Amino acid sequence: METIPDGYEDLIELEAVGRSHRAVRFDLTDGDGEDLEAQRHHEPEHTHSLQRNSWSSSTQRVLSSMPSRSIRWNQTAVLSQNQSRCTKPRRRRAPNAVATTSGAANRDVFTEREDCANDVTQNEELLSKLQDLPAGECVRLLREMPLSVSEKRQIRALCFGWELEQPLSENRVLCCHQFQACFLKVLCGCWLGRLSQQISIQLWQKVLKNIGARFGTGILSYFIFLRRLLLYNILFFLINGLFLLLPQISNSPPPPKDNGMNTKDENAYLWMLTGKGVLTNSVMFYGHYTNSTSGHCQDKTKTCPHNYNIPLAYIFTIGTGMFVTCVLLVYRMSKSFGKSFCTLKTTGNLALKVFCSWDFNVCRKRSVKLQAVNICTQLKEMLSELSCRKKKRSLCSTLGWLSVHLLVWSICLLCIVGCMMAVYYIHRYIEQGGRMENDPEGLLTVPLVVSCLSHLLPGFFNKLSRGEDYNSPSVHIYVSIVRNLLLKGCIFSVLCYYWLQRIDDSKKDHKCWETFVGQELYRLVLMDLIVAMLHIIVAEFLWGMCLRNFTLRRRKLEFDIARDVLELIYGQTLVWFGVLFSPLLPAVQIVKLFLLFYFKKTSMMQNFHAPRKHWRATQMSTLFVSLLFLPSFIGALMCVIYTMWRIKPSSHCGPFRSFDNMLLLGEQWISGLGNSNPSLDWLSKAYIHLVDNPLFLFIFAGLFLTIIYIHMQLLDGQKLIIGRLQEQIDHEGEDKKFLIAKLQALNEARAQ
Amino acid sequence: MGNKQTIFTDEQLDAYQDCTFFTRKEILRLHGRYHELAPHLVPMDYTNDPDVKIPLALIVNMPELKENPFRNRIVESFSEDGLGNLSFNDFVDMFSVLSEMAPRELKAIYAFKIYDFNVDNYICKEDLEQTLNRLTKEELTPEEVVLVCEKAIEEADLDGDSKLSFADFENMISRAPDFLSTFHIRI
Repeated sequence: METIPDGYEDLIELEAVGRSHRAVRFDLTDGDGEDLEAQRHHEPEHTHSLQRNSWSSSTQRVLSSMPSRSIRWNQTAVLSQNQSRCTKPRRRRAPNAVATTSGAANRDVFTEREDCANDVTQNEELLSKLQDLPAGECVRLLREMPLSVSEKRQIRALCFGWELEQPLSENRVLCCHQFQACFLKVLCGCWLGRLSQQISIQLWQKVLKNIGARFGTGILSYFIFLRRLLLYNILFFLINGLFLLLPQISNSPPPPKDNGMNTKDENAYLWMLTGKGVLTNSVMFYGHYTNSTSGHCQDKTKTCPHNYNIPLAYIFTIGTGMFVTCVLLVYRMSKSFGKSFCTLKTTGNLALKVFCSWDFNVCRKRSVKLQAVNICTQLKEMLSELSCRKKKRSLCSTLGWLSVHLLVWSICLLCIVGCMMAVYYIHRYIEQGGRMENDPEGLLTVPLVVSCLSHLLPGFFNKLSRGEDYNSPSVHIYVSIVRNLLLKGCIFSVLCYYWLQRIDDSKKDHKCWETFVGQELYRLVLMDLIVAMLHIIVAEFLWGMCLRNFTLRRRKLEFDIARDVLELIYGQTLVWFGVLFSPLLPAVQIVKLFLLFYFKKTSMMQNFHAPRKHWRATQMSTLFVSLLFLPSFIGALMCVIYTMWRIKPSSHCGPFRSFDNMLLLGEQWISGLGNSNPSLDWLSKAYIHLVDNPLFLFIFAGLFLTIIYIHMQLLDGQKLIIGRLQEQIDHEGEDKKFLIAKLQALNEARAQ
Repeated sequence: MGNKQTIFTDEQLDAYQDCTFFTRKEILRLHGRYHELAPHLVPMDYTNDPDVKIPLALIVNMPELKENPFRNRIVESFSEDGLGNLSFNDFVDMFSVLSEMAPRELKAIYAFKIYDFNVDNYICKEDLEQTLNRLTKEELTPEEVVLVCEKAIEEADLDGDSKLSFADFENMISRAPDFLSTFHIRI
């Protein structure tokens, strides 16, 4: 291979990390004083003293030429596993008397000559490998190289010449559209995921920075979660708005005759709270949507799609919105799992505490001081734990511990059952009192009760659980999350049960049950917001003010992240469930999240102090995203699918009046597609023979499960390999110690 | 792009975008921050890639770094001369590695450099002692410091030379999922 042209040698200054090659000289000892002069002669640059033993000079000479001490630092995961960077002996800085700065350790005396020849070939290899990669991969590798930006720019210029008209990174979007990845929806997920990342990174950037600076990463994760939820709702609202609301608004049917509804009611002004009145027959709720293709096109409006099928659009819009949300959630979950995955060893926490616990985000002086005090306390606790063994529990104390746990659990379960019955009977009572229809008190009581219960009971559970003794704080958090979820799930299932009963009743009364359920959910969401804001005002502002001014220590409040995140998840579940009946519900949720953000932020700045305990932000974020996906989104999706598939839509309102279930319309349309449009015949055939065919679904499910099983086996195999490699490293370490000691023994014997 | 800016050529901005985790807008914003650290030193026109370096003392006065106990080491690790004088390239590099999007391996490499106070490619006991003192603002007693250092090295050192090489450090970091979120400075 020819040598690299002259000009390039100056340009290519690829260095090891640290921008200079560092040959590690072996350490000298203080004790071996008489050899010091000899050392300096052989090894002009020396670092400071050795920790463990005093080796003789001959041992040291051997040790200093060990390959791992004089080889360049190998980077990981750049092009191949152990690709060594080429270095050039350069940048002769003035040799420092104190050999502890980077400038001094510049040259590799032992291997310089041999490596010059290797440098050139490795350079060329690196460049040619980079050129072979597609643009997206190349950019990714370039960004992840541990070199300085000036070097990276040089590599980039060399690899791709001066013909570039646009940055390589923009080609990533084109890559996605070239369908190189396995499945279309994975691609869309990646693209949407990156797009959503761009949007969410920019909103509220400064505010989040301030919060992080003062309170640290843990509390920041709550606000980031909120922002993410906002993004999902905005996307859903945009999809609904473009494909459902706008056509319906431009096509709205003439207002129906008043069926005995007294509009002069003095409670009409409460329409915003109750969802009744003006809103009942608006685009807010299901009942308003027409069940035909636009027959009411007004002449005044310019956009008037003549064959826009509203019922079909309804199904497809809601379905697309759910699908997009699902893809985004799965993408976010997979990224979180990737970040929070940790290998099996659970010991070794002291070193982790030293290196990984300082939160670089925190920059206010007081918070920094607090963080330092926290870490100090935790280190002291860990030291004391190490020194005294963990006490074993005697039989008595185990029994006591168990009974306390059982007691607390039974109280919690009793409370939950009590709440369920309360909600059910209040509903029945109000219904029997006949106040359900227009009386705002009747309408708002149940949402108020539900919101109060779901806000206040978790706090009560937390106080109860203070008496319990847990092995670790994370178990405590998991247990409180489970109780919280159980409470909310049970209350919600009671509400669903009640609604199903009402649906059966309303079939006789010819009423619009979908609008009714939509209104109930709307009221629930709104009441949740109102109770949350009241809670912030009373429990945080007022109580915080009392604590600050009337206690001697001027304490502030402590933020309970788990509880607040679960509140957000609960609210979002309601929205996802209700979007089928009330397509504008995401817009309400957007307003709610905005308000919550600013209220919470203000309250936080005034009333809360930085957390005392270390909050494992990454793992908790993963848990919250998983909770958002699994019980929350999947649960809502199941309910929506059940409603669309099994429950007969009401026959007097809404777009599905004439169908037995909503999905039938979709089936009809696809099956009929072949007739109306011959070129799409294949689609309807595919639907009839594949999607509608149970055999195909079985095969598909079977394949899917097989793939999951294969991946699980792969993971198990990899864990096994990791364990074995760990053992191997330990053994190598033992061997090394043994050999060094033997070498030293030999040298000492020879010296005598 | 919208406004016609004259700070960088388009080609330079593209290069920055491909070599760091920032977008064009963020690079321009970073340039603004770099400029306000030393307005008399830093030119507004960077089209010729001027060789301007801001000294350490000015960089560590940034609000994001001011209270950080490792500020000097952070800046030194990203400087080419090892003394903490950052050119704009180094400045962008520093915040790019410390940004949200940098992967774990890259952050681990630079975290190792930061904690390696004597720059000998190993985190030895003295490095660890200095790290601890800065973390806890010298609240621990000397005996406790020694004990923590010994225990930490014992836990993390895999090849038995009583120092932490990069492999040991990276292996330890892989067990800390929080590392990615804590080793992050928002700019």
